Amino acid sequence: MTLSALNADVIVDQLNAGELKATDCVQYFLDRIQTHDAEINAFVSISQTALEQAEAIDQRRKAGQTVGCLAGLPIAIKDGICVSGQPTTAGSKMLEKFTPPYDATIVERLKSADAIIIGKTNMDEFAMGSSTENSFFGPTHNPWATDRVPGGSSGGSAACVASRLAPVAIGSDTGGSIRQPASFCGITGLKPTYGSVSRYGLIAFASSLDQIGPMTRTAKESALLMSVIAGFDPRDSTSSKAQITDCLSGLETPLNGIRIGVCRNQFNDGLDQEVETKINDATSVFKLLGAEIKEIELPHSQYAVAAYYVIAPCEASSNLARYDGVRYTFRAPGNDLEEMYRNTRGQGFGNEVKQRIMLGTYALSSGYYEAYYLKASKVRRMIKQDYDDAFQKVDLILGPTTPTPAFKLGEHAEDPLAMYLADVYTVSANLAGIPAISVPVGQSKNGLPIGLQLQGRAFEENTLLRAAHQFQNVTLWHDTSPSQPWRTQT
Amino acid sequence: MEDSDLTSSSNPPSNDRLAVQFNDAEIIIGLEVHVQLDTISKLFCGCSTQFGEAANSQTCVVCTGMPGALPVINQRALELSIRTGIALNCSIARSTKWDRKNYFYPDLPKGYQISQFDQPICGPGHLDIEVPETPGKLRQIRIERAHLEEDAGKSIHDESSLGQDSKIDLNRTGTPLLEIVTQPDIRTAAEAKAFLSELKLILNYIDVSDCNMQQGNLRCDANVNLHIPLGDHQIATPIVEIKNLNSFRSVERSITYEAQRQFEAWQEHGLTITDAPKQTRGWNDHAQATTLQREKEDSADYRYFPDPDLIAVTIKESQIKQIQKQLVQLPTELRKTLVEQYKLNPEDAAAIVSQGRGVVDYFSEVADGCQDSRIANNWIGQEVLRQLKESNQTIQQYPLSPKQFTELLNLVIDGTLDQTRGKEVLNEMVEHSISAQQAIEQLGIKPVDKNELVSLCEKLIDENQEVVEQIRAGNGKAIGMLIGKARKINPNANPGAIKALLSKMISQ
Amino acid sequence: MAGTPEQTTVNQVAKLARIHLNEQQIESSAEKLAQILGYIGQLDEVELPEDVTPFFGAIESVNAIRDDQLQASVPRKEILDNAPDSDGEFYLVPPVF
Ligand SMILES: [Mg+2]
Ligand SMILES: [Zn+2]
Repeated sequence: MTLSALNADVIVDQLNAGELKATDCVQYFLDRIQTHDAEINAFVSISQTALEQAEAIDQRRKAGQTVGCLAGLPIAIKDGICVSGQPTTAGSKMLEKFTPPYDATIVERLKSADAIIIGKTNMDEFAMGSSTENSFFGPTHNPWATDRVPGGSSGGSAACVASRLAPVAIGSDTGGSIRQPASFCGITGLKPTYGSVSRYGLIAFASSLDQIGPMTRTAKESALLMSVIAGFDPRDSTSSKAQITDCLSGLETPLNGIRIGVCRNQFNDGLDQEVETKINDATSVFKLLGAEIKEIELPHSQYAVAAYYVIAPCEASSNLARYDGVRYTFRAPGNDLEEMYRNTRGQGFGNEVKQRIMLGTYALSSGYYEAYYLKASKVRRMIKQDYDDAFQKVDLILGPTTPTPAFKLGEHAEDPLAMYLADVYTVSANLAGIPAISVPVGQSKNGLPIGLQLQGRAFEENTLLRAAHQFQNVTLWHDTSPSQPWRTQT
Repeated sequence: MEDSDLTSSSNPPSNDRLAVQFNDAEIIIGLEVHVQLDTISKLFCGCSTQFGEAANSQTCVVCTGMPGALPVINQRALELSIRTGIALNCSIARSTKWDRKNYFYPDLPKGYQISQFDQPICGPGHLDIEVPETPGKLRQIRIERAHLEEDAGKSIHDESSLGQDSKIDLNRTGTPLLEIVTQPDIRTAAEAKAFLSELKLILNYIDVSDCNMQQGNLRCDANVNLHIPLGDHQIATPIVEIKNLNSFRSVERSITYEAQRQFEAWQEHGLTITDAPKQTRGWNDHAQATTLQREKEDSADYRYFPDPDLIAVTIKESQIKQIQKQLVQLPTELRKTLVEQYKLNPEDAAAIVSQGRGVVDYFSEVADGCQDSRIANNWIGQEVLRQLKESNQTIQQYPLSPKQFTELLNLVIDGTLDQTRGKEVLNEMVEHSISAQQAIEQLGIKPVDKNELVSLCEKLIDENQEVVEQIRAGNGKAIGMLIGKARKINPNANPGAIKALLSKMISQ
Repeated sequence: MAGTPEQTTVNQVAKLARIHLNEQQIESSAEKLAQILGYIGQLDEVELPEDVTPFFGAIESVNAIRDDQLQASVPRKEILDNAPDSDGEFYLVPPVF
């Protein structure tokens, strides 16, 4: 078997067993990036030191020294997460030449597990988008059909895992930015509980919604990455001291007796027929696995997108105020300070980012706070309450990740609302702070992946991953690769 | 004229306005005081708060607002805020949260200031001040709230008007400030100064801030307007906020100036609070005048909202009790103690208390040791404070311990040393850091034998018959001359004893 | 440039957000803003209980605090290296007025 067909846990086993050298492993993926990324554009930058690090790990293994639990495993990181001394752009011209002097906490943790950061992946500018078309560095292409979007904002991470330019990747999810591209690219993506993975070093889009998570081919790989990146961080005030339960050890526990809720009012007009069919098929699989399927209500979920498009832009308008041409690389000249501000922000931000800053600024401005931010935050309470009620009756909630499979590049360029509705099933989990995972459950007739979303109780990532893993034990969708030149040989 | 924007919609001067006298107007003043809390690290990061270091040498990814960096609140800043709240009789919030105040300025790295909007750490309270014209009479100034926030950095603008770049230093960025806001209860510039002095004293007493005004550790904005009686009603002039006052003198002078200016402006154009928005002015120390500050039209739209990077802080009753228990006696109580327990007059008590807690402690220890608080007050109030001032020392650095000082005073009280000799001994003690006994020895002071004193007096009476006659004729003051002569012959002779003896011998 | 009421709003908001927009951007921004605000308007349909408290996210959990301890600052060069203009000691910005 070639390396591109191996799962990360197998690669780590082979590295530990001495069957594979870290340098060979890293070189293999660097070569794949070299060969295929021109067509996919998953990466914004490639690490110049990855081989050196792999060399050091091989030396340490040879000398019998202890190494971390991911020693030698290449990993791609979304470019909105700071890696010390490496360019970190958040997909924006504003940060084109920004080099953070510090590591994000998750990067620190991955480094101390001896994982090797192979490159930084493309994304919608400041994570604002659902297609990775809003990147200063050009759009990423979906490996299943290069005229289609990979989803977003973590489209680079999703595409690179789907095309095996890296075994695993890290993304971030504010309204679906891990799950929606995972769904579009036929991989597994987990948005953890708010507060379970440190946000320190994640370039903020909307702080109360942002969460970092793994993007992998299998649930087991996601569990492996979670065991490294999750946990309390004193540098992030919103980081939770309530530890998530160990995700790895319970994976093989059968699903007998687990209660899975299905919210039928989400299966509405907007939902593509093919997607609905695949979700229903997958539901039957869960039944066969021993799950009890129950109907539930989430009466306020229909307002989630509206609430989200108030709250996220409000927070973003403030979070992005720091890009003013004074401290971080990009400045457009002006005769006085105010002119410099306006020119820098007018030229440094792309259209979608400007549009959302405008919306957020408007919604927070004097006289509108109650009508928008406060009202949306009250609706957010109702959405959270719905979940609290539902999780009294069920352990997981099942549904589609996205209403449709991947759409064409440029398809929604002139219609922001249509684009926003790509998040219709994913934003609620961010608003409520609960964990959710997308797993591949089939393909459309024209060969595009379809994803299923499971949502769980706060800090019960273990249940989500277990259910996804049990599903993957009896299905092959996660093992299916795009029929393209970068298709993996098995 | 800088106020042309106001005159455009003004009314012509009217006779009833011109008939009003400035003295009829009541000045309404509210203060917003920014106090730098005495922490070693900043409010949300571990950078030092030390003043005067090289520009931009005390910053990190958090306080420069580097993308991805996050704030974590400093425990001590919370504690000091609670301590201040208790000292100012404020209610302390059981739950307090953080909000973002959004505005653009180059010395505000994140584009927002982390502050507190609707749940300040300290709620309503009050501070009693002495009415400046009538000592001993107290007036209550209500505190509206006190909230915790981060300071901005420092902008150094080009003063040459050549349009050179401004320089930004972010060392001060993120330093913890407590913003104390009063109700508009202050009525005169002198009261404003009295309020600030008392506040500064309290903050010193409770070790919350050194309030060093030169370093900007206590800064003040004053909101000023006038209530003017006009016919059967009363009008209010537009409120002016005088920004960034950094000395007591500038507070006093700017308010005085501003009141007069508002009165004249009102007489001229008649605009009231309903006609004009709040205006921001600065104090020009050079011109001794307030000047209109150019402001952006949107500057007041701060778009406050809860900071999603920070979580709420709950404060437990037990924590407040604990801080309350540790709280030292405050100036007001101490003044009362000095008057009631140590029998000082109010002025003397205030003078001692105004010197800070160290001097009060020193005084009480000496007064307790020598059982004569008035003498202790005289000596500490005059000699010790003068010596400290001359040597630019604090009481903690004073070379004599309260015990050593008490020894000296006891020798004065029991008559072993007269005042003059006592002061000589004190100087000797301070100069060589020695005890009273050692100083007495070094100065060669010996007690004078009773017989020696009698023969000295006999000698004086013999040699100064005219003076003796004058005394006998009823000129009591003339005895001083004889005492002086006696001291020339024997410096150790106690003037009191000589006086008593001479009086007795002469009257016999 | 009077423009529609939406365009006036966009102008004011752009000013507040310190973003320069040209005429065409203002027009398209006004259009998109109207569209999205129209969509957001459905929040008015939600029947909210009288006593509902807004949910702002993590702010509901409490007490993440640090001790008042010094931590090394970042060397000035590393901080200023990312700045578009500095003299090695200070950030430099165009004059305020
Ligand atoms: Mg303030
Ligand atoms: Zn700092």
